[in-house]
Amino acid sequence: MTSPLLRDKNIIDVVKFKWLWIGISLVLIIPGIVAMIYSTVIYHSPMKLGIDFTGGTLLQYGFEKQLTTQDITTVRDDFKKVGIENPVIQIENADAFLKKQAASAKTNNQKAANIKSVISIRTRFLSSEKSNNEINKVNDVLRSSFGSFVPLQVSAIGPTLGTELFKNAIFALLLAFAAIVAYLAFRFQLDYGMFALIALFHDALFVCGMFSIFGLLFGTEIDSLFITAVLTVVGFSVHDTIVVFDRIRENSRFLAKKMSFNDVVNASVNQTLARSINTSLTVLITLLALFFLGGVTTRDFVLAMILGIFIGTYSSIFNASTLLAMWRSKGAKPTPKAA
Amino acid sequence: MKNRKIMLSIIIGLIVVSIYIIITKPTKLGLDLIGGSRLVLEAQKTPQISKITPDMMDSLQFAIEKRINAIGVAETVVQRAGENRLIVEIPSISDPQKAKEYLGETASLEFKEQKIGLNKQPVWVSTGLSGKDVKKATVGSDPTTGEWKVDIEFTGEGAKKFGKLTQTLVGKPMAIFFNGELQSAPVIQEPILGGRAQITGGSGGFQFEEAKKMVDLVNAGALPVPAEIIEENSIGPTLGLDSIQKSKLAGLVGLALVMLFMIAYYRVPGIIADVALVLYSIFAFAVFKIIPVTLTLAGIAGFILSIGMAVDANILIFERTKEELRAGRTLFTAINAGFDRAFTSIFDSNMTTIITCTILYMLGTSIIKGFALTLVIGVVISMFTAITVTKTFMHLVFGSGQLKHPELFGLKKEQISNSSSFEDTNPRKAKLGVLD
Repeated sequence: MTSPLLRDKNIIDVVKFKWLWIGISLVLIIPGIVAMIYSTVIYHSPMKLGIDFTGGTLLQYGFEKQLTTQDITTVRDDFKKVGIENPVIQIENADAFLKKQAASAKTNNQKAANIKSVISIRTRFLSSEKSNNEINKVNDVLRSSFGSFVPLQVSAIGPTLGTELFKNAIFALLLAFAAIVAYLAFRFQLDYGMFALIALFHDALFVCGMFSIFGLLFGTEIDSLFITAVLTVVGFSVHDTIVVFDRIRENSRFLAKKMSFNDVVNASVNQTLARSINTSLTVLITLLALFFLGGVTTRDFVLAMILGIFIGTYSSIFNASTLLAMWRSKGAKPTPKAA
Repeated sequence: MKNRKIMLSIIIGLIVVSIYIIITKPTKLGLDLIGGSRLVLEAQKTPQISKITPDMMDSLQFAIEKRINAIGVAETVVQRAGENRLIVEIPSISDPQKAKEYLGETASLEFKEQKIGLNKQPVWVSTGLSGKDVKKATVGSDPTTGEWKVDIEFTGEGAKKFGKLTQTLVGKPMAIFFNGELQSAPVIQEPILGGRAQITGGSGGFQFEEAKKMVDLVNAGALPVPAEIIEENSIGPTLGLDSIQKSKLAGLVGLALVMLFMIAYYRVPGIIADVALVLYSIFAFAVFKIIPVTLTLAGIAGFILSIGMAVDANILIFERTKEELRAGRTLFTAINAGFDRAFTSIFDSNMTTIITCTILYMLGTSIIKGFALTLVIGVVISMFTAITVTKTFMHLVFGSGQLKHPELFGLKKEQISNSSSFEDTNPRKAKLGVLD
């Protein structure tokens, strides 16, 4: 019998609505999986891979001139003449950049104050051998077409290095998964570890799926930082799940004789609910600050983490523990609660 | 009580030391924040070189360092990475493309003579005289034509070789090859015994830049193995400045919002958590400076994320303390129980973060490494501050006895009186955390 105190405090009966939570998870995950399959069929990879993994060169320039798509078309032909075929050229939103630059110009950067457009050029890996420095060729073409510019960044990854980085990243991801499950199996029990793994897999899948969708819609590419974000999300998801599991472990030690495991899970989730939400809120606050105010370079990285923290909190409250309860009640006496 | 005084003095001592470190030690900022180039060079195997040995890498590193110095930029770093790679970091460089030209080139200077090949065609054949025999190269200009040229001074050994070679080659051309490209092929008029020679730029002559580059490269020495640039990351100072300002702002705003949230929700303990948070930031920053951690954009993101995790420890503790108070516990026991019970959660959850960060640090690229390092340092320090700083301050502020003003914890009076009856009836069980 549930004690009056515990029943009063239960805000949600998580175990009772287990099918609802599973349903919501499916709704969240399936579009991403569809996008990943679609993307694999069309582009041969589930997400749009950035130059970190494919190899290539990314150049970014700030121009004092307002550039149009027409300008880009003409410069494309010039690139072809110097042997750079099919570069991906994007004019980026210079507004946000401009405002910030105007502010920083006060400090001492006069030249930067005039940036009106920012363009990014992505090509195959440009050789920098001997006198054949292809990046210099790009610079020359741009200078002769649009006048002087401020070089913002160059990022180049050799083709063999790209595959190497990709392999390393996947290896790191799998190793982290294995290490976390091993730790949980050691500190808790194997089935706790198993369900934490399912929850984190769920979270990683959601984030990857969303980025697959972003890739299809907005051309968002994933890079090494994205892998870092997924790993952090995985760490955080487990972090959240552990807090709930820790409570279940503690409660079942004292309450196991009086309550069914389902009730213990319910009570534990509700006891940790305030903490789960508050912690996620504080992390989300810092991440949102980074997202809106931080640098452009880390924006996608932060977005991946925001999505991950959100889904991680959801899965630790509604999935990991209810699945554990379903699993355990199947083994023990059946409860007539299934909806 | 005595313990708490010791704890408090330790904390104050740490604050003083940390602030001293923060003021005196410089912050190491990454190239993505100050602008600069980071290049990865990979030694390439050739038909002659089937295996890259550590010795080759040593001399490659030495040659690259000399070349970088020739560019004249301060604080460059050349590091070994893996078996056959070098990482070159050049801060605040205005034209990274020029620097690259200096690095990848083998810079082999060769003197060749003409022989008749198999198919009756004249071919250039190596004479054994090369850049190794050159003592010094300088830029000069031809007094008659005014064209730029490169003057070469041979070593003692080199001068002998050159003298002998010119003796045999009188009336014949001798070619000078640089990086496999024919520079000039003057016909030797008479033996040259003074150990000096000059390279002119052929019919068009050298541009000054060209001559200067050749001189720098010849003086720095040829690379023992060809090296190729396989990765480049160059950030212009404009973007760097932009990033650093944005990160600062984001960090401060994030911190301020979190602090406000903590006070709004947890009241007095929230203020204590905020103090702990500020101290946490000071300690973490001091540790970054001691190690020293090079702060990159990703590193700052890791640090800001660790602020979130540091707060989590406090939230876990406060939620638990509140529960204990609701169960009618006295302040002293409630605070202690809150800490003890929350600790397993904090420990286990932070351990998984530490595990993931360790893996990232071992396998990641430099960006990822920066992130993992700051996050792991942050997590470790956050455990320390939550347990020492927060606990000490909680006891100091609230003392012991019954909680007289539950609103300080954001609790209502009736929540407490209601549950204290349980403790009256069943104190032993309540101590174990049984809430029935």
